Amino acid sequence: MADQADFERDAMQFAGQLYSAALRMTRNPADAEDVVQETFLKAYRAFDSFAAGTNLKAWLYRILTNTYINRYRKKQRRPSEVELGELQDIYLYRRLGEQSGATPSAEESVLEQFVDADIKQALESLPEHFRMPVLLADVDGFSYKEIAEILDIPIGTVMSRLHRGRKSLQQKLWSVAEERGLTGSAS
Amino acid sequence: MSSACDHAIEHIYFYLDDEQLSWYRRMRIRWHLRKCSYCCGAFDFEQRLLEVVRVRGREEPPPELFERLRTLLHGEAAESRRDDAHPSGDPPG
Repeated sequence: MADQADFERDAMQFAGQLYSAALRMTRNPADAEDVVQETFLKAYRAFDSFAAGTNLKAWLYRILTNTYINRYRKKQRRPSEVELGELQDIYLYRRLGEQSGATPSAEESVLEQFVDADIKQALESLPEHFRMPVLLADVDGFSYKEIAEILDIPIGTVMSRLHRGRKSLQQKLWSVAEERGLTGSAS
Repeated sequence: MSSACDHAIEHIYFYLDDEQLSWYRRMRIRWHLRKCSYCCGAFDFEQRLLEVVRVRGREEPPPELFERLRTLLHGEAAESRRDDAHPSGDPPG
């Protein structure tokens, strides 16, 4: 059992990351802060049910995710695993390779030219049930098992959504690269 | 692309995430990467892309966020102390 008096000391270190995750979910700073505040309040009230010494970060993310879903996802239909269609592996690498046909480092130099806004735009454009696993794994560094617990879905579903979400992210980034003329072929 | 390339690319995320792969599969991929410059380039690219997403996908919170959360928690704590002292339906005095 955890002591409520320790909550502030233990949880505050994760507030910044929770805000960042909330912003990628809600796409709006005011909504993101609301979600984080509600998460902190719920977590504080339930802190005596948290088993001290276990994964506090994952526990907070689970509350954050549920808070977001309860607030914003009521109108949404059930997720469809086929929504993104067939996606090619290592899509971005292949496309950049076709364009440059040059040294292997040409592809990586495109990556270095992406700015924060490019990555954020691509992440936020993912359908929600793919966006969440991608955010949790690739921005917040959770393991597959932790993501399964946070999102309350089987680990097989985590893997499938994460991998499909990453492929979709690569398609978005390819579009961004084309728009910004980073691919070598744009006008 | 050989079947060893297919095997490596199929498992690229498990390999980079250090998840789900048996020691044998992991060694098989590592061995292939030493011999195949195409797959080696692909793995380096994917690794670098994951790093770029991790670094650039994060957002700094507004500095006031922390103070607002503290205020929220202190208010909640004060309220629950009041409730403990004077449970509803049992007014003081």
